[in-house]
Amino acid sequence: MISVRNLAKRYGGVVALDSMSLSVERGTIHAVVGENGAGKSTLMKVLAGVVKPDGGVVELDGTPVVIDGPNAARQLGIGMVYQELSLFPERSVLANLFVNREPVRRGLISKREMEAACSDLLDRLGLNVDVDAPVSRLSIGEQQLVELARVLLERPQLLILDEPNSALNSRETERLFAVLRGLRTSGITMLYVSHRLEEVFAICDRVTITRNGRDVLTRDRSGLTIAEVIEGMIGQQRDALFPPALPPRSDVAPTEIVVSNLAGGRLDKASFTARSGEIVGFAGLEGSGVSDLFDMLFGMRKARGGEVRFPDGRGMPRSATEAARRRVCLVPSDRRRDGLMLDKSILFNLSNVVVGARHGSPWYLARAALDRARRQIEVLRIRGAPLALANSLSGGNQQKIVIGKWLEIDPQVFLLDDPTRGVDVGAKREIYGLIRRMSAGGGIVLFSSTELPELIGLCDRILVVYQGRIAGEVSGSQMNEHTVLHLTNTGEMPQADRRPQANQETVA
Amino acid sequence: MTETDSNPTAATRRRWRMPEEIGVVVALVAMMAVIGIARPRFLNPINLFSLLGNTTFLGMLAVGMVFLLAIREIDLSVGWMFNFSAVVAALLMVAGLDPWLAAFIGILFGAGLGLVNGLIAVTLRLPAIIVTLGTYSMFQGLSLVVNKGRAIVPADQSSSFFSVISTKLFGLVPVAALVFIVLAIAMHIVLHRTRFGYRVQAVGSNPEAAAHAGIPTNWVRLQTLVLMGAICGLSGVMYVGFRGAIDPNEGGDFVLVVIAAVIIGGTPLSGGHGTIIGAVVGMMIIQVISSGLIFFGIDATWSTFVTGAVIVLAVSLDRLIKFQRARRAERSRETLRS
Repeated sequence: MISVRNLAKRYGGVVALDSMSLSVERGTIHAVVGENGAGKSTLMKVLAGVVKPDGGVVELDGTPVVIDGPNAARQLGIGMVYQELSLFPERSVLANLFVNREPVRRGLISKREMEAACSDLLDRLGLNVDVDAPVSRLSIGEQQLVELARVLLERPQLLILDEPNSALNSRETERLFAVLRGLRTSGITMLYVSHRLEEVFAICDRVTITRNGRDVLTRDRSGLTIAEVIEGMIGQQRDALFPPALPPRSDVAPTEIVVSNLAGGRLDKASFTARSGEIVGFAGLEGSGVSDLFDMLFGMRKARGGEVRFPDGRGMPRSATEAARRRVCLVPSDRRRDGLMLDKSILFNLSNVVVGARHGSPWYLARAALDRARRQIEVLRIRGAPLALANSLSGGNQQKIVIGKWLEIDPQVFLLDDPTRGVDVGAKREIYGLIRRMSAGGGIVLFSSTELPELIGLCDRILVVYQGRIAGEVSGSQMNEHTVLHLTNTGEMPQADRRPQANQETVA
Repeated sequence: MTETDSNPTAATRRRWRMPEEIGVVVALVAMMAVIGIARPRFLNPINLFSLLGNTTFLGMLAVGMVFLLAIREIDLSVGWMFNFSAVVAALLMVAGLDPWLAAFIGILFGAGLGLVNGLIAVTLRLPAIIVTLGTYSMFQGLSLVVNKGRAIVPADQSSSFFSVISTKLFGLVPVAALVFIVLAIAMHIVLHRTRFGYRVQAVGSNPEAAAHAGIPTNWVRLQTLVLMGAICGLSGVMYVGFRGAIDPNEGGDFVLVVIAAVIIGGTPLSGGHGTIIGAVVGMMIIQVISSGLIFFGIDATWSTFVTGAVIVLAVSLDRLIKFQRARRAERSRETLRS
């Protein structure tokens, strides 16, 4: 029904889509799987008209089409349900369902008409809620169904679902899947993007594996096993990206951080110990609780329970200010929101911690700030003058500023939350080198990432967090992408490496 | 990535940056020149210094307001903090307290009012604009209760407090104006050369990032609101010393003029940045407009309209300049990438 050929898209130096081809049959649920950065989301956004491709063809029923905006996509019968909810939380369910196309009678919005138009659909979706209630009072699962209903009201022929169940519990997911199966029988084609392989296998008819902006393999689900899919997602992409471990400094006493039964946010009862000189990796899907863990250790979030002993012998910091003063640092995952003052200079940003958080002289000395800026610009090889605005820099240089402002206080504990997100390969390599230096210099490094290769390439061991609990630890020979990916996606260790899928023989 | 910047040191030295206040200063001078050419009497030093004297009390508030805008907040209660502190100080003088001591207590009282604003804003995590919308009327009401709706006039004005503040040095420069200028310079240094000023700009620029860098954002907001209160108190007691009385309604219409002056001066509402010098010049522009109109024989009621028009003009120019700067930045970034 819809097919794309050789789709390409780059953002600056980053290739999001290299040469993506895909063909979807009418009335099927077609899954697109791949690691972060494989190009799934960009592909979906191209189809939804949000992103313009640099090259390639999109064909609808055999005729080439140009999708130059969300409205064009809508007119072609393409509807998209986004990963993050795009509802207006304060407005009613009805108002949300009919955003921007409210039925009007005699110049006034007709609520009766809205109710009539959607009651049937809501019944089918099993969404029995007060349509006048604000959406924020609904559960996340119900909100997700409202989102779905809103798209379905446009009567799309092709429905794109980008991780639609990332916020759902298993019961809500079951309900969503029942709805999707119902839609399939009524002839709607669906493109389903997900990380979670178990679910992909539960619902989809056909699977396309993507990697590095290309499609690697497309096959019927019945001809695939989870193990094969994981193999396809990883590919052979080992290269010399990761610098070797440096010899540890001998003049610093070893330290450790001990976390016991820590709970808070999505995280529940996490216990582990991390020592200086090692890099401890944290893997987990979005929302699994890794960010919550880091926020708690940094004093940004209150813990529900549990204890932590930091290298200075004290417990958890009560505020981020206290954490900074005790030489605990956090490199947040959302760099632009939490890491930088974009309308300020490199110099200003690099003084954030030294001047902003620590005790000391009440004066802000321009000379000292300039020295600081020059020092970090040289050490981190930031491409920019001290007075250049942070906003004018590339992602890699911005991230170096976020790291650099912490290096100024010589931290003891480094919490790095996905520090290479949105950074080009060259800067990635430099950041890996920095992390090695942090660790060799006697720092305790906790490193979370959504990209498996860098976790495996850099870490001494990896703790996998699955739905709020530490599902397992891998190290040594166990530390391969297959094991870690299986753990992150299912929460269980792979049994004897290969597990035959139900009534399906492993293909050699 | 391997290519490093040619030489950052030289680059910073070479590029001399135009002070950002240059625009408003030019505007002020041009305005005065135009009025001066048409009505030479306007440029008489006596007139100019009395203009400066008129700028004093509102100008002080504008200096404090720069900190609030820089931290991405607005204090609406400044006029009544000014009034309430003045009333309290004047009442203490009436009660026979030494005027210097009463004035000092007045300043502390203003700081206390600021503390009230700050504590509410910080503990309830409310924007200061909401909190001060309420305290605006609370302070006004309490002040009216205390002064019983009448002007407070300290009977005994023989103290050196009154004579010092209302003196004109060399028969020209009012001491009150000098205090204002000293305050402005001091606050300029505080904003740009102290840790507190740095923190204010950091929190105003991006509160999330500030918190993630370990900056105690709540503490900084509290300090800023207390500083605003103390400056209102200072302005209030100076007013009592200068005029020898405080009217029950004085201060009620201050807040919009103060914010206008800060914005004309070039401090953005979006926070992260502020200019004290700009605010002082902005306040002078407003004064020049209203007195200039009088010199031209235009009815003084027009001055409100003209002040408003100047604000609109100033912010549109500002927007235009920013827009162009952003476009230039974008273009340079694209060339960097390719």
